[in-house]
Amino acid sequence: MEGSKGKAKPKGKAAAAANESVLKQKSPAEFFSENKNIAGFDNPGKSLYTTVRELVENALDSAESIAELPIIEVTIEEISRSTFNAMIGLVDRERVDAALYDDFESEKAKEKRLAKEARDQEKLAKALAAGKKIKESNAKTGRGRGDTSFFKVTCKDNGKGMSHEDIPNMLGRVLSGTKYGLKQTRGKFGLGAKMALIWSKMSTGLPIDIWSSTKGQDFISFCKLDLNIHLNIPNIHIHEKRPNPEGWRGAELQVTIEGNWTTYRSKIINYMRQMGVITPYAEFRFSYIGPTPDKNLTIRFSRRTDVMPPVPEETKYHPSAVDLLLIKRLISESKEIHLQPFLQKEFVSINKAYAERLIGEMGPEFQPKMLVKDLTGEQIVRLHQLFRQAKFDDPSGQCLSPAGEYNLRLGIMKELSPDLVATYEGSAQVFEGHPFIVEAGVSLGGKDVKPGVNIFRFANRIPLLFEQGGDVVTRTAMKRINWNSYKINQQQDKIGVFVSIVSTKIPFKGTGKEYIGDDISEIAVAVKSALQNCCIQLKAKLVRQQQAKERQQRKRNLSKYIPDVSRAIYDVLEIVSGPVAQRPRYGPEYQDLLEKVAKREVTEATLKQKLTSHVQQVDSEMALEFATQSGMVDTARENVYLRALDSKRHFAVELHNPVAVFKLFAGI
Amino acid sequence: MADKRKAREVEDDDDIPGTSAEGPKQQAKAALAFKKKLKPDVKILASVTKFCQAAKDTEPETRTLADLNLANSCKEVVDLNTGSVVFEIEKSILAIAKSILSGNGFGYLVPSRSSANQLYVPELDRIVLKDKASFRQFANISSVRKTAITTRILQLVHQLCTKQIHVTKRDLFYTDVKLFQEQGQSDTILDDVSCMLGCTRSSLNVVASEKGVVVGRLVFVEDGDRIDCTKMGVGGKAIPPNIDKVQSMESDALFILLVEKDAAFMRLAEDRFYNRFPCVIITAKGQPDVATRLFLRKMKTDLKLPVLGLVDSDPYGLKILSVYMSGSKNMSYDSSNLTTPDIKWLGVRPSDLDKYKIPEQCRLPMSDQDIKTGKDLLNEDFIKKDKNWVKELELMVKTKEKAEIQALSSFGFQYLSEVYLPLKLQQEDWI
Repeated sequence: MEGSKGKAKPKGKAAAAANESVLKQKSPAEFFSENKNIAGFDNPGKSLYTTVRELVENALDSAESIAELPIIEVTIEEISRSTFNAMIGLVDRERVDAALYDDFESEKAKEKRLAKEARDQEKLAKALAAGKKIKESNAKTGRGRGDTSFFKVTCKDNGKGMSHEDIPNMLGRVLSGTKYGLKQTRGKFGLGAKMALIWSKMSTGLPIDIWSSTKGQDFISFCKLDLNIHLNIPNIHIHEKRPNPEGWRGAELQVTIEGNWTTYRSKIINYMRQMGVITPYAEFRFSYIGPTPDKNLTIRFSRRTDVMPPVPEETKYHPSAVDLLLIKRLISESKEIHLQPFLQKEFVSINKAYAERLIGEMGPEFQPKMLVKDLTGEQIVRLHQLFRQAKFDDPSGQCLSPAGEYNLRLGIMKELSPDLVATYEGSAQVFEGHPFIVEAGVSLGGKDVKPGVNIFRFANRIPLLFEQGGDVVTRTAMKRINWNSYKINQQQDKIGVFVSIVSTKIPFKGTGKEYIGDDISEIAVAVKSALQNCCIQLKAKLVRQQQAKERQQRKRNLSKYIPDVSRAIYDVLEIVSGPVAQRPRYGPEYQDLLEKVAKREVTEATLKQKLTSHVQQVDSEMALEFATQSGMVDTARENVYLRALDSKRHFAVELHNPVAVFKLFAGI
Repeated sequence: MADKRKAREVEDDDDIPGTSAEGPKQQAKAALAFKKKLKPDVKILASVTKFCQAAKDTEPETRTLADLNLANSCKEVVDLNTGSVVFEIEKSILAIAKSILSGNGFGYLVPSRSSANQLYVPELDRIVLKDKASFRQFANISSVRKTAITTRILQLVHQLCTKQIHVTKRDLFYTDVKLFQEQGQSDTILDDVSCMLGCTRSSLNVVASEKGVVVGRLVFVEDGDRIDCTKMGVGGKAIPPNIDKVQSMESDALFILLVEKDAAFMRLAEDRFYNRFPCVIITAKGQPDVATRLFLRKMKTDLKLPVLGLVDSDPYGLKILSVYMSGSKNMSYDSSNLTTPDIKWLGVRPSDLDKYKIPEQCRLPMSDQDIKTGKDLLNEDFIKKDKNWVKELELMVKTKEKAEIQALSSFGFQYLSEVYLPLKLQQEDWI
């Protein structure tokens, strides 16, 4: 262990140095501990949720980066206090160290707990021993933290994996976006799994375990590490190679954190479900192992398609989307030395001619050949101002990777099994120099859907679950869509509204970056139009459905009146057929009829029976007509995805048919 | 609409608020000025008699639809005796039964009563029904209900006619509430049935409950009882729903006064206006029902008396006059029996508001809906045929003011019977 520590240190320093030149000096971990609510770690429950989502999103990115259909397994194992103690007990040395802090802190904590419970969170950050202490005080008070407990969260993927040497640095150091370009990314903060690592450090102090293997690698890297928060370097416990007999590729992360399953159970399941909607090409296996077996839970969100959206491309900034700092950063990082190629290469929507025009516009002190590094602060301000005022072409949506109408549709059908679904993908739009694409789906009916409007929001292909009220999608669906005009009842129908927005920059609002504000008219308009397009499709289907329903009810509605009519007619017939002498005045054609009525050969029952068969005949005629009009199908056809089997299977017989080939397994 | 009118009448019973202390004096003065203009009753009577005589002398137009040779053929119904109605129904039922037994289902050919199928014939001065008809099939989801109701109504009417009894529309509805669901449906089908059979609704032995009242110099025999309408107290005689039972009308009246609503009718009845100026006063209390229209027509044709209309100065008053004169669209198939041509508009006319110095607080501003109705009326044929009417209506729409008959009460409750009407008669101020 000593050895591994020594090995990690120089690397850490080098990375830290690189950071310093670009970024602020404050340790990202420190910043996080002060502002953990903005990163989604408000309380233990939400921390558990955020940990899961960070790990899942990392795993998805990893698989997608090598164009592999993701298979992701998430396991949350609840750890009882005794087990947790035993786990800490294993790490003897550290516990001795911690014990000193423990006693010192506990006195202070006890006082503060009486005054204010919220302060507890801060104490957590101090040391791993806090966990032990709190357990004790909990035992005494029996309240305060409610169901807070410890969880081992494991996330296994079939992604790219990490190379053996890179593992400590990739996970053990909080790097803050040194990303050079601009790209549609899943993460909201660019911190990914490192957040979960910090949280584990803060709440339990237990190190994280990583198993990883890259393609064609004959060993599995195993690494156990934790984080030195203040120095922002990994603290490696174990780093070794283990055999990989099955040729496994991917990564598995295991963190032990404090959390709360009871209160965030539905959120986590909801998240997985919505992830299933937006990523139908991935397979998720989620299991929860509780303290008692009866609480165990396993959900499988199976793959429904093998069409994957392309990996988002990195793109350059649009001139209207940069600020002064960013221009300075681009200048310092750019490979281009001269001003004109710098403008041309580092930004989208500026070609050579336009770069020259821009330089000419800024005055004689600017020359195409001048060195960008020589630009003074004032000159950069001038450039920035011009970027703001000048007119540029909109950036294209080429760099974006929406889920795709096909996938969204499959996802909705897979997870909700609605009666009807319509999807729409809008064209790329622009907001403050960032391109965005809005995709929408509207479903009706389905399982586990409440009556009324159910909103499902996605930003850059991850679900948004919190702070729904102020979101642009919620506002649009509730206030600006006139559901009635699409023959949809806003209160009674089970409406699912799915809106996915992808962009190089999602304009999040709120502390936790949990919703998209309603104040950006470009986005609001795009969302509304996408939803309206879905509704128009649905309306057509609903009208057709209505007709089909009417057709089914026609016979019943017609038959309902047969008794009334027969009785009324027979009543008159009976009177008319009474006096024989009167009969001739009705004309010769009715004599036979009157005779039969008088002889009781024609009765009310005869009329009823004749009418019933007539209604039946008309109904079948109408059904035929309806079928020819609507092309014999009542519901729209849909593509079926069948899972491909591995090629190692042996097949005995092939049954050929114009549509498909059936292969029968050979008995093994 | 009847309810709305009623509500308005109730309001009018209260004293008109906001009249300043000065107001009543000035109004009294004005009222007095008009009263002074009145000549002795004898002189007024003389001129009215002349008018009445003129009306009696003019040969009433007896042109019928058949005489006109119109381009499009029209549907009209006639009064049939119960025997013929029974026979007609039996024929239809037999045809239906035959069709059912041959396995073809059945249906009815029902003349359309929609407004697209209505035609105003200026020569006759009434609305008639064109010949468009639709076939209502039993085996059709949109018409099955109506067809079923029609069959049931046919049977019920058959029963009524064979038993020679009369029931009200309400009675008819209650015989099969489960099928009819609401009275509106059975009423509509009843009109369809009379259209289909080509007879008037009264021939079907179904009547509307009585609504209209008559009082004044009229004597008639109803089902063998002699009725003297001068001895009917202030309430008047309810107009019998069944016009067939009204016979041998006699009268020494000089004119018929048609009043839009109850309140004015009561005033005139209580003041025994018909004794001062021999006349018959009739009202249907708002929108006229079939019985009142039939009764008015019978009076007009039997007694050859001129008819003077006293209605509110608003678009609805005019509409009511139009229903008496040209018929309603709903009953246009029977317009020949229901309309009373040549009703003179006595008042209250928009020009009267200024002429009779009706105080501001008694005039009401017209609502947007009122103005719209007024403008629509300007396009109606029955208004357009008379320039004077057009002028009055234009004035109403322009001033955007309306007034009810009760506005005259601001000069005293009896102003209507003691000053306004005599003065109108004296000046022969009708159009």
